[in-house]
Amino acid sequence: MGQQELLLKVENMYKSFGITKALKGVSIQLRKGQILGLIGENGSGKSTLTSIVAAIQSADEGAMFLEGQPYQPKNSVEANQKGICMILQEKGTFDTLTVAKNIFVGKENLFCKYGMLDNKAMNKAAQEALDSVGADDIKATMPLGKLNFEDRKLVEVARAIYMKPKILVVDETTTALSRNGRNILYNIMKKMKSDGNSVIFISHDIDELMETCDTLTILRDGAYIDTLKEEQFDAANIRRLMVGREVEENYYRNDWESCQNKEVVMSMEHVSAKGLREISFELHKGEILGFGGLADCGIHMLGSVAFGNIEPDLGVVKAGDGTVIGSPRDAMKKKIAYISKNRDQESLMVSSSIKDNICCASYPIIRSGPFLWPKAENEFMNRWADELQIKMQGPGQYVMELSGGNKQKVALAKWLGFGADIFILDCPTRGIDIGVKSNIYSLMEELRAQGKSVILISEELPEIIGMSDRTIILKDGSVNGEFKREDKLTEAFLIDYMV
Amino acid sequence: MSKIAEKSKNVNLQIAFPFLGLAAVLLFFQIATGGRLFTSQNLKAVLNDGLYIIIGAAGYAFMFAMGLLDFSIGANMAVSCAVACLAAKINPWLSIPAAILTGMFLAGILGTIHVKGNVNAFITTLAGQFIFKGLVLIVLNNSVQQAPLVMLKWFTLPLKISLLLVTVIVGYLVFEYSVYGKTCKLIGSCEEAARQTGIQVGKYKMCGFLVMGAIAGLLGFISLIRTGTASSQTGSSLMMNVLNAALLGGLPLSGGPTTKFRGVIVGSLTMSFLTSGMTIMGYNVNTQQLVKGAIFLIAISISFDRKNMKVIK
Repeated sequence: MGQQELLLKVENMYKSFGITKALKGVSIQLRKGQILGLIGENGSGKSTLTSIVAAIQSADEGAMFLEGQPYQPKNSVEANQKGICMILQEKGTFDTLTVAKNIFVGKENLFCKYGMLDNKAMNKAAQEALDSVGADDIKATMPLGKLNFEDRKLVEVARAIYMKPKILVVDETTTALSRNGRNILYNIMKKMKSDGNSVIFISHDIDELMETCDTLTILRDGAYIDTLKEEQFDAANIRRLMVGREVEENYYRNDWESCQNKEVVMSMEHVSAKGLREISFELHKGEILGFGGLADCGIHMLGSVAFGNIEPDLGVVKAGDGTVIGSPRDAMKKKIAYISKNRDQESLMVSSSIKDNICCASYPIIRSGPFLWPKAENEFMNRWADELQIKMQGPGQYVMELSGGNKQKVALAKWLGFGADIFILDCPTRGIDIGVKSNIYSLMEELRAQGKSVILISEELPEIIGMSDRTIILKDGSVNGEFKREDKLTEAFLIDYMV
Repeated sequence: MSKIAEKSKNVNLQIAFPFLGLAAVLLFFQIATGGRLFTSQNLKAVLNDGLYIIIGAAGYAFMFAMGLLDFSIGANMAVSCAVACLAAKINPWLSIPAAILTGMFLAGILGTIHVKGNVNAFITTLAGQFIFKGLVLIVLNNSVQQAPLVMLKWFTLPLKISLLLVTVIVGYLVFEYSVYGKTCKLIGSCEEAARQTGIQVGKYKMCGFLVMGAIAGLLGFISLIRTGTASSQTGSSLMMNVLNAALLGGLPLSGGPTTKFRGVIVGSLTMSFLTSGMTIMGYNVNTQQLVKGAIFLIAISISFDRKNMKVIK
């Protein structure tokens, strides 16, 4: 190890977005047959670095060498030709086209005969590509929009692998994948390695990185911090290097008591909706109720239905006093708050200012008559931005300029300011760095202590086990098990109920 | 410090752009007309034309903020003017409610189709424009109708000035400092997030349509007392003038938080002086249309973030 041939060298890379310096002179090296993990908090520059390597963005300064030759790709097509493919963190596919057309987008020429597209040949090749990555239950002729998020990601993986890349960049793809999908991806990475190719793997999950990678490079605030070899891996040390200070290993709740209060603040009665069947549960005062399951088991739909966002086909969602909740407005009247998994599309107005986002749910409190005076708005926003320690340049800064963790804080500030009693949080720590993650966990504990209730929806079992008073596991849209908080509750035990 | 300076410089440029446009128009026509732009007689003409533009643009601003476009306002104004003219023949005072209610009724129908029927606003109002143009011919019986002459005396300077002031002050307060105005901008920023913040998006959009309709009706009435007639040509240039005013004022087509009422005022002034300047220089209405169409395209292409623009959703 370490003696193999150098495949890619990045030297002194600089990149700024406006006034934000995303990369400050980062250098990395990638050898043949290496799986290099990139880790760092949000805004540390991991994604920026790799997207420059894949030529999705260009660097301000710095040089890259591929197999000793200067490498200056003009666009991602050229990067692909040179054998560098990237699987993006965000969705990079077209919903209305078939799976096959998505895999061969931009490469339709391969299947052109006399100027006509040979769909049959394309579908066949696509199916082979899917089978080869182990995603054989996806059919190449299906429209992509029919697939769930996870399968779409696998289509992207198949697309990248079809190009037989020398370097595969995987940018936080696993947060969207279930165990099965992750295993597919891990196998692909291992195969890349055994074929003498290389992988750059970005993830927030330290355990995952330690398991799959042979080398780890740590970035912080756009600067290179350190590179560790497999034998130097140590979770606590990595965390310290990422954050720049000591971080407690265990940031979940320490107690093993479950909630004793029997007062019902919200309930679902025999709710059926798209992807949900016969769901009934009661949420108690001062309780953290966890919902776990695979990505498409209905947990996300459940959150949306609970907030009245989507009306159930059958059954009712009720507040504690029996009022039926049929719209977000009804839910808010009962002091219910919801942060969607698709936070940037549904829970925040990213093109508005931090001030507008924090204040918007609370206009009835802030207003004086029909008017909203800037002074009242600013006071309100300062109070809640301070409470959650949101890092910002000013109240007028647009939310889209913030990092994932700070965006989540803005969404939380909005609902804390609103004075919600019930928080429905769908994947509140998805794509969020450790620092903010532990803030969110302590906030949940605080809310619980104040007698507020939380519905925690997550695909991360450790998080659910670590935080919930009660855990409900969903499978194929139905409840498949309910568990009290206990220290003997384990991930392996719960997974049996999920699959 | 330099970072902050850099940022504020960008912001200043954005704010300055509409003002620079206005200054350029003023300077150009002041020279091109040999100093005739600022004569008191011409300023009165500017006020006459500008009144329509600024009142229209003030109503349009709320639609713009929500990311809605209304292409029917000119035709709506023509129908309202025609109905007002018929009402005035019964009793001149009847023309005021007739105009405003007609405008609200027509816009209300379009609003219902948009909100309840989920047909996008661009298509709905474009179709509305054609329907209203047909409607006005039916109401006017294919001719030009004369209003009672006494109504021409209503169009006085104090009325014009008070209309102007009320529009600017009320518009500014409501748009920038009221819950209603703020909420309109939030809807334009992200409709789904607004809905999930408990905002009844449909109601706000409906309200936007009704206000726009009332304003089209009011403009129909103003046109009636200014010209004394109602014809199928009434309001034909309103749409382009108002849309141009909004764009030259720097309002983003996609709506949202960067929509500013200041832009409405500056843009309206620019368009008013532009129209009047071209009139002094002897360009006829057709040439003016041509120039305004070109300005519309240029304004869109140079100054706006088209990545977020969704004219046809």
